[in-house]
Amino acid sequence: MSHIHLPDGILPIWLWAMGYLITMVSGALLFRLTHKEDLTKKLPLLGMMAAAMVLGASVEIVPIAYHVNLMVISGILLGPSLTFLAAFVVNVILALFGHGGITVIGLNTLLLSIEGIFGYFFFRLFWKVWKRLIPVAFIATFLALCLSTFSMIGVVSLGVSHYEDLMHQDEGHGVFEFKLFKKHDDHHGQSKESAEANLGRFAGVTLSLGFLGWILEGIMTTLILRYIYRLRPALIKLEQEA
Amino acid sequence: MVHLSYLDYLSTEGKSFLHHLSPGWKILGMLLVLSGIVLLKNLSGLFLLYAVVLGFFFATRLPLRIFPLTLYPLVFTILFLFISDFQIQFVLRVFLKVLSASTGVVLLLATTPYPSIFGVLDRFFPSLLVTALFLTYRSIFILLKVFEETQHALYLRGGFQWRHPKRSLVNLSNAFGHLIIKGIDSSEKMYEAMTLRGFKNKIRY
Repeated sequence: MSHIHLPDGILPIWLWAMGYLITMVSGALLFRLTHKEDLTKKLPLLGMMAAAMVLGASVEIVPIAYHVNLMVISGILLGPSLTFLAAFVVNVILALFGHGGITVIGLNTLLLSIEGIFGYFFFRLFWKVWKRLIPVAFIATFLALCLSTFSMIGVVSLGVSHYEDLMHQDEGHGVFEFKLFKKHDDHHGQSKESAEANLGRFAGVTLSLGFLGWILEGIMTTLILRYIYRLRPALIKLEQEA
Repeated sequence: MVHLSYLDYLSTEGKSFLHHLSPGWKILGMLLVLSGIVLLKNLSGLFLLYAVVLGFFFATRLPLRIFPLTLYPLVFTILFLFISDFQIQFVLRVFLKVLSASTGVVLLLATTPYPSIFGVLDRFFPSLLVTALFLTYRSIFILLKVFEETQHALYLRGGFQWRHPKRSLVNLSNAFGHLIIKGIDSSEKMYEAMTLRGFKNKIRY
């Protein structure tokens, strides 16, 4: 829910190109901060966590069009920099199965990373305050999902004028289209208003279904973390902070 | 996701003309399809693109049981259709773009063994990234096997029943927790094995 399930060719070129650019820059910055030795050691773990996320994403909860991401767990187990790489890898593989387009991989990486990285920081922060796994895990997951879903709606809203074009494109004006940036005089007044109204509906549907999803994923993440904490507490690395 | 191993089998055992074509050309073809999806403006152009990709799908005589895989992404686009008034032009455009991309991707995966795809990617992208992709792809097969075993255990403990949501959620979460712990164990073994073979952030395909 929190990442964009849009196919290729729907978002404007400038938007997804920007997504790739920001992903590359953020990725490069994060890897500068990561120890090379640590990276080598954690690559197989990253692969396993990414695979678990791919499997989680393949379990679709049909009535609310939702699937679990397991991104917050990944953030807690891998740490922020490796979570970013895991998000990228997961999105590439999901895109290969039509789960979001190939051109939106950059944007999806950013949105999923928001979930994983903020989930990690919320979890650590709330743990310092409460020191109780169940409420901390639930609230951290809920807030991280909420944040990334709002970011997703924000990203989709950036392309409103482009969707307008897609809706009102007339046949017979050529076969190809290449617009890196939108011209300002393409649409005016009424059509823009109707586009805003539609975005409101999209946001409404996304948030109402998403809300159920956040609760569901919050509960699942909490239960999974409780299971891991019972069997392998060292993996969550809370002992030294408790 | 369970079709992944079948796609893998098809890609190595298939004998069609696309199976014999070099992976580089097939990836280039996929990029051309993607460019078409991004740049094509009218419905007739998109219909033509889908017809071409579909033509390749049937020309390679891939089993029809993998065809539903190309339709699966339509599920995810429905939410986005709320942004329009479900206008027929918009819906058709979106559906044709989705179907062209998914058919192209299924065609690529069913005719190209994955080490060959990663081999090509390794020439253009940082090896760390391609290694992470390769390890993830490999791990999916390992976890799928664990998942199958876990599913049996899950059914024995009541499985997933809508009548008992609380118990079902606990069962499902424990299954995922088990999957993650097993996955972490496997990753440690994998790391030791790879280190013994001289792994240094790069795999040769």
